[in-house]
Amino acid sequence: MSEHHKESFITKYVFTMDHKMIAKQFLITGMFMAVVGMLMSAIFRVQLANPGESSILYSLLPGAWLNDAGGLNPDKYLALVTMHGTILVFWVLTAGLSGTFANFLIPLQIGARDMASGFLNMLSYWFFFIATVVLLSSLFVETGPASGGWTIYPPLSALPQAIPGSGTGMTLWLISITLFVVGSLLGGLNYIVTILNLRTIGMTMQRLPLTIWALLITAILGVLSFPVLLSCGLLLIFDRSFGTSFYLSDIIINGEALHNEGGSPILFEHLFWFLGHPEVYIILLPALGIVSEVIAVNSRKPIFGYKAMVGALLLIAFLSFIVWGHHMFMTGMNPFLGSVFTFTTLLIAIPSAVKVFNYLATLWRGNIRFTPAMLFAIGTVSAFITGGLTGIILGDSALDINVHDTYFVVGHFHIVMGLSAIYGMFAGVYHWFPKMYGRMMNKNLGYIHFWGTFICAYGVFFPMHFLGLAGLPRRYYSNSAFPMFDGLSDINELITFFALAGAIVQVFFLFNFFYSIFKGTKSSQNPWKSNTLEWTTPVERIHGNWPGELPVVTRWAYDYSKPGAEEDFILQTEPLKEGEIEH
Amino acid sequence: MDIALKNTVKKQLLWVALVSISMFFASMLSAFIVEKGDVDNWKNFSLPTYFVLSTGIIILSSLLLFFIKPALKKGKSIFGLVFIVLILGLLFSFFQIKGWEQLTNQGIYLTGIGSNVAGSFLYILTLTHLLHLVGGLVGLCISTIKSKQNLYSINNYLGLELTSIYWHFLTILWIILFTFLKFY
Amino acid sequence: MTNILIVVVVILLLATLVQIVRVSELLSDIKNKDVNEVTDKDNNTQGILFLIVGFGFLIFVVWQMVTWNHLLLPPASSVHGAQIDTLMKISMGLILIVFFVLSPILFYFLYKYRGKKSNKAYFFSHNNKLEVVWTIVPTIILTSLIIFGLKTWDKSMNVDVSESTTIIEVYAQQFNWNARYSGQDNTLGKANFRLVKGSNILGVDMLDASSADDKMSREVHLVIDKPVLLKFRSQDVIHSAFLPHFRVQMNCVPGMTTQFGFTPTKTTAQMKETEGDDFEYILLCNKICGASHYNMQMKFIVETQEEYDVWLDSQENLESKLLTQK
Repeated sequence: MSEHHKESFITKYVFTMDHKMIAKQFLITGMFMAVVGMLMSAIFRVQLANPGESSILYSLLPGAWLNDAGGLNPDKYLALVTMHGTILVFWVLTAGLSGTFANFLIPLQIGARDMASGFLNMLSYWFFFIATVVLLSSLFVETGPASGGWTIYPPLSALPQAIPGSGTGMTLWLISITLFVVGSLLGGLNYIVTILNLRTIGMTMQRLPLTIWALLITAILGVLSFPVLLSCGLLLIFDRSFGTSFYLSDIIINGEALHNEGGSPILFEHLFWFLGHPEVYIILLPALGIVSEVIAVNSRKPIFGYKAMVGALLLIAFLSFIVWGHHMFMTGMNPFLGSVFTFTTLLIAIPSAVKVFNYLATLWRGNIRFTPAMLFAIGTVSAFITGGLTGIILGDSALDINVHDTYFVVGHFHIVMGLSAIYGMFAGVYHWFPKMYGRMMNKNLGYIHFWGTFICAYGVFFPMHFLGLAGLPRRYYSNSAFPMFDGLSDINELITFFALAGAIVQVFFLFNFFYSIFKGTKSSQNPWKSNTLEWTTPVERIHGNWPGELPVVTRWAYDYSKPGAEEDFILQTEPLKEGEIEH
Repeated sequence: MDIALKNTVKKQLLWVALVSISMFFASMLSAFIVEKGDVDNWKNFSLPTYFVLSTGIIILSSLLLFFIKPALKKGKSIFGLVFIVLILGLLFSFFQIKGWEQLTNQGIYLTGIGSNVAGSFLYILTLTHLLHLVGGLVGLCISTIKSKQNLYSINNYLGLELTSIYWHFLTILWIILFTFLKFY
Repeated sequence: MTNILIVVVVILLLATLVQIVRVSELLSDIKNKDVNEVTDKDNNTQGILFLIVGFGFLIFVVWQMVTWNHLLLPPASSVHGAQIDTLMKISMGLILIVFFVLSPILFYFLYKYRGKKSNKAYFFSHNNKLEVVWTIVPTIILTSLIIFGLKTWDKSMNVDVSESTTIIEVYAQQFNWNARYSGQDNTLGKANFRLVKGSNILGVDMLDASSADDKMSREVHLVIDKPVLLKFRSQDVIHSAFLPHFRVQMNCVPGMTTQFGFTPTKTTAQMKETEGDDFEYILLCNKICGASHYNMQMKFIVETQEEYDVWLDSQENLESKLLTQK
């Protein structure tokens, strides 16, 4: 069944209810925001390499953000850091990653015509879009955007007197994030209900590709944890604008004693991190799901340990709800509570390790085809090993005493999120581009993009561990105020060099992406010789995905190089041969 | 998608949304518990009597909704039933606001000098519940209009079903909030 | 003008890229090949690249460790800090071993199993024994690490306040620190933010008997090998008291008092011998608190009892400082 209603530009590209187009809306918006966030990081890295000096990059900023000498104002440095974090964590790695791939892949890989509710799906994008507009508008208000870190702890984020960005900019941030969360929840509802109800005949849960398992579990995480951010933000809105005292007490700011009594900023931290920690797994799990798919297809082998991989995803998701306190070891919490959180945090390392071992076992004795997508999937594995291991240091409360809020943390979370998850996103784009646009991305540009990014990214973030072990705190406008950090300027310059180089390398990707949409070589129906259902749809893409009947599934998604088969892949719709046993 | 599947799917979408809304309130109740344990100047006060009234009213409204299915099965008009539930819903809202009035007369304020975190929490919890209830009232309005036009039958009353599920959720949520605030 | 030039250059670069891509596609059309097909040659190149870049990365890591080792913090100058350092060495050693085992395996596999059309992959979908092994081994290792860590955490956080513990308040505000010694009674006078006025920056309640002998200071002196309990308050937003050399960190939260106790084991003079004459123990702010978050510092000096006594005596106590300055 394909619909033959007449489509205008508006109904096809703007107010569309087709999951494939909505996915691309999320992707393009996410990519745009990624560029914005990346430019911000280029700017503040330049400040860190040459503190106080002016730079040509600063001409991208509103004039009021600079001082008379052309250098960046300290509070605007904090604004950049705040917006960079907000944009990358929420806009790029949550909406850009889940929003794109959940929307695109779920109906296609389970054999459905579209999502359970195309209307809710369309709404989820439009809430996201409006949230984006509101957030970007905060860059242009007089007092500047939110500047209290993406974690927006009160009282700093509640009091405009404490930092200018906590005025209008912070209000806009809160409005934006509320819209963002509503949009995310609308999406999550669809993903869950679609996967549970609209699988085609034969698509049992055990035959689902790991990508879908990951997206399902991610959606459940979101549905359970994002509402807590809403309540957390609601109480903050009341404290900021209506004079309540949920988070505020005993404050004198700018010489004025505030009336608030009885509140606790630590309450904010508990509520925030109750979302905040599952959030990083909301970011990571889709990337790992994509990587499972890309590695299996390109190793021409089943993903090793399918059941263990699903189990690991479930265990990670469950544990992610009981580790949030590891962000709060230094708040003066009861030491016993700190011990509990150390215990649960180090436990979460176990299913993570299992996943890494399973990836390595998938590669072992494979016949590896290095498409650009595969390169990035491998990049994810490498970064997950590197970044995951430093998590063991940070999760140990006693060790956290001296590395909390230093560059050690910055290095860790960038490697797991900025490398692992972003690489997963790149892998997904390169891998499913032919399905999205019916054309191939240029392979050689993809190779250049990967190697440039892989080298530069490790060059940026690995040295940060040393800065942290040298005691350098994060969110510092400059390290020139403390003689003890004088020896670290060389490292800072090296990091900035790699950061700028890495930013420039992304041009290859952006160019490749947009050029290939219009001028890429036309793709075949199944260019990667993959088993999953999306590759049985026509190259031109139609509403309802399959012309005629929905596919019927007879096997799991990983019959690659199965002994006795003619080719090294077998589509999930291929009936079992005489005498063939299903895996 | 056939009708049966469509109905199942729409109901499941609502159920998942209810899980999210529950987490929203659960986190605020946790915040309440944490803050109460932490803070020295937690004010204790009794709940306004209007809230007892409103509790009774919302329970009654939910009970009435159970008569819809039997009535539809017998082919009877449900307009009266749905309309009464809508009125009760509006009455609930009115009593909530009267309850807040009672609180301010007692000196319990939401914000500003003289307010106390205990009072603020009470207002926020009841306010957000009421805001979610407005959604239910919208559903009831639409259902009232549609039932007047006899658009519902036993085989096709999805909109009303969804509204009812949501309304029952709001009732249970209110009972939990009320009990919690009364006894904790 | 420069901006216009940059825009022009960028556009020209992009145009060049377009042409390069077009040319390569045309060339492969002529050769009748698919420009985007991944060939055995590609796999060979990429596999070798992973070996080279991968091991290059590992060498880079070692280079960083060697080159920047001298920049890291010196060994801890406190009792609990020494235990933290031991735990850190063991944990780091462990993760470095895992890193230097797993990463080469990854890069080597990518090289060894680089694809050839003539090869076939080995259909190996699961092995329960392996799963059990590589679940249990990390569990054992991590559990041991946890137990060790908890012991160290307990030592660091659970303060045994004895008679010889000096109690000092450290007060944070945008953008400086103030210290308050508790005087001979070793008890800090009560304080309330509503009493902050003029030179009574900390809001000390002068009606409390314990307040009279308190002393305020803009630097903190400590006695070597004598336990101290720092009590933290904040005036405005969350700050964090970070004393990296002592392995001490604690958030300063308005509306709460937090604390951290430790015993310094090296004097400033001793540190100057090993770390250079410019060395100072320093307190920095480690929680984003506003524009000058990067420049909130206070000096800490560890000295002998005699030096300390001399210094402390020279500080004015609050009774005379505040009550005489209306």
